[in-house]
Amino acid sequence: MDEIGLQRRQVFQGLIALSAVGGLAACGGESETVEPRLAQGASTGFFTNSEMALISALAQTLIPQTETAGAGQAGVPETLQLLATDWGDDAYRQYWRAGLAALEPELVSPAGESFLAQSPSVRNQILAAYDASVFEGAVENDFYRDLKNTVVEAYYKSEPGATEELAYEPVPGEWIGCVPLSEFPKTWAT
Amino acid sequence: MSDFDAIVVGSGMSGGWVAKELCERGLKTLVLERGPDVDPLTDYSDNLAPWEKSHLDRVRPQEAMAHYTRQKDVYVFYESTKQFWVRDSDHPYSVADGTDYEWYRGHHVGGRSLTWARMSFRFGDLDFNANKEDGIGVDWPIRYADLEPWYDKVEDFVGVSGEVPNLPTLPSGRYLPPFEMSCAEEVLKTSLTDRFDDRTLIVAPVANLKQAQPHHNALGRGDCQVRNLCYRGCSFGAYFSSNSATLPAARQTGNLSLQPDSIVHSLIYDDATQRVSGVRVIDRVTREAKTYTADIVFLNASAIATAQILLNSTSERYPNGLANDSDQVGRNLMDHVAGAQVSARVLGIDDKTVFGRRPAPGYIPRYVNYPNNDQPYKRGFAFQVYSQRGGWTGNRPGVGEALKTANQSPGDWWITLDAYAEVLPDPNNRVTLNSNQTDKWGIPIPHLDCRMGANEEALLQAASDDAFDILSHPSFSNVTRSPVEPTKPGNRIHEMGTARMGRNPTSSVLNAWNQAHTIDNLFITDGACMTSSAIVNPSITYMALSARAANYAADLKQAGALRI
Repeated sequence: MDEIGLQRRQVFQGLIALSAVGGLAACGGESETVEPRLAQGASTGFFTNSEMALISALAQTLIPQTETAGAGQAGVPETLQLLATDWGDDAYRQYWRAGLAALEPELVSPAGESFLAQSPSVRNQILAAYDASVFEGAVENDFYRDLKNTVVEAYYKSEPGATEELAYEPVPGEWIGCVPLSEFPKTWAT
Repeated sequence: MSDFDAIVVGSGMSGGWVAKELCERGLKTLVLERGPDVDPLTDYSDNLAPWEKSHLDRVRPQEAMAHYTRQKDVYVFYESTKQFWVRDSDHPYSVADGTDYEWYRGHHVGGRSLTWARMSFRFGDLDFNANKEDGIGVDWPIRYADLEPWYDKVEDFVGVSGEVPNLPTLPSGRYLPPFEMSCAEEVLKTSLTDRFDDRTLIVAPVANLKQAQPHHNALGRGDCQVRNLCYRGCSFGAYFSSNSATLPAARQTGNLSLQPDSIVHSLIYDDATQRVSGVRVIDRVTREAKTYTADIVFLNASAIATAQILLNSTSERYPNGLANDSDQVGRNLMDHVAGAQVSARVLGIDDKTVFGRRPAPGYIPRYVNYPNNDQPYKRGFAFQVYSQRGGWTGNRPGVGEALKTANQSPGDWWITLDAYAEVLPDPNNRVTLNSNQTDKWGIPIPHLDCRMGANEEALLQAASDDAFDILSHPSFSNVTRSPVEPTKPGNRIHEMGTARMGRNPTSSVLNAWNQAHTIDNLFITDGACMTSSAIVNPSITYMALSARAANYAADLKQAGALRI
């Protein structure tokens, strides 16, 4: 089996595990949504399908669908693929490839299963723990910080991220220096 | 018979003003711009939503490293704005060993008037007297009273929104209504005026039309929409630029010829008349050499490029560069210096926010070394003040809904005092020509040798101490100060001083009218003319000097004194 085929099989196995565990987790009343992009077949670009699967899972775990779009619905994985494919240079591409490859084993489940094999709720637990270790300084991983920053930037600069999740006012027309927060309770997108 | 009454070299902040005034006085005026023309429809990006910009609006790393080695560090350098910044690979310069110079510039019609920060403060007599008082540099040949009516004139036309109490360290001006303070600024202002008699906080007056007047509307300009996207060009024409204001006004007279893609190689000196007879131009695209003649020449190419042109204009009479009997051409290169910031959380206003994006920071005007020079350092500093609530960021802990929730609510209020200090004139800080390297048009490239000195460092240290003291008040918490690290020369994009005004032809290049001491029909009104830097942003002063000198030149021309 060639490399891409192997990766596809791993993704497929991951999907089976994900649906099984996801079913159990749903009993806990949590909203669980499988990111739609994950199952949508071949990517065209620098990142392989398995890399895109990991990117999508990470992005959707960082910013899941709630009442508003998650990173997947907002097109964040595609933005990252475009950055690597059409924008970055070789150094940028290899930085991401190596960073993803090094990050994935850090995110295995306590049972040693891959991140992709987990349900969204378990992914959230795993990534939350890892994120805390990075931000508390116990683990040093600048790539993870870059990835998180890029996902967050791509999300809040997307149309749903800016206009639905946050408050977007392209042409304010006037400046008011002090208004009650209750009138504009959301973060301004720009 | 000359081709034109006047030639203006450069279409930016000061060149646009010279062109407008000369054209309105009836002079047939040729404006030469080394870069291409600007088309608002394609070159302005202010109407693009964030999601309409590709690749998060980042410039490709390989392109930035190969072609924009300097400009990539400009705070407003994006894929959709890079057309307003030069390709460094096409416009090299060299620096002296052990020095560096950050030269940020744009070659296009309008120059940096399209990308300026628009803060507009007047120089006062504290500034015009400073060199004389300190014995540093040479005395300005003018005082505030000489420039005051010209500040009035340019502020009226430009449209400056602001409110400055008449401070002894900062004159007020003719302003449109101001933008109001944010709640955080009100907190700071109260704590400042409670504790200090000599300090206050204002909203920086900016060249944005808070309330456009009929003469602004007549040029197609409208009210500021409070988007704070000015660095992208403004489709509303709401901030002042050559493109929105002076060049359209000049064009309306029918006397303007604007010629982009025209790089000035040198000026032509005529021994018989002892005047400049014209300019040598190289077409940027075809590299064809051309010559244009005129009765009057204004240099407005920006301080370093103006010095480069003068030094490259040699003749038997001026072997060391045109108008350079004093050997001051290229010397006294100044900027401003920053590199000391103090930030704090603002308490007690968590239930407040803002609407809109005001295109102006807050500002604490200079207060030190007034009324007496009682500090161990010379001159002074001011603070630009930034205040806002925390916004969305990926640089915070948390994932999932917790991250979304944290980003959806505005964060803490923060305020930052960012020190700006005066840079002293020093003849050793200078522009020369590199004798070994020419650019692709065959012109010797500038060689820059410029350092920040001990006084600049002492000013910044004092500013950092004062800012820390100001924010050490019950209204604030979490006070943090940056290390005091003076910015490199050029970093503030206020280069000036390379052909200074003065009273004496042996120690300065220009007289009180920005006219070369020894060449009656040569005028310089860009930053090169500055005798000292003061601490305020300089553009409105360049404009006032330009309007004044242009009208003086037109007076001489009308009197028949400048015919070649």
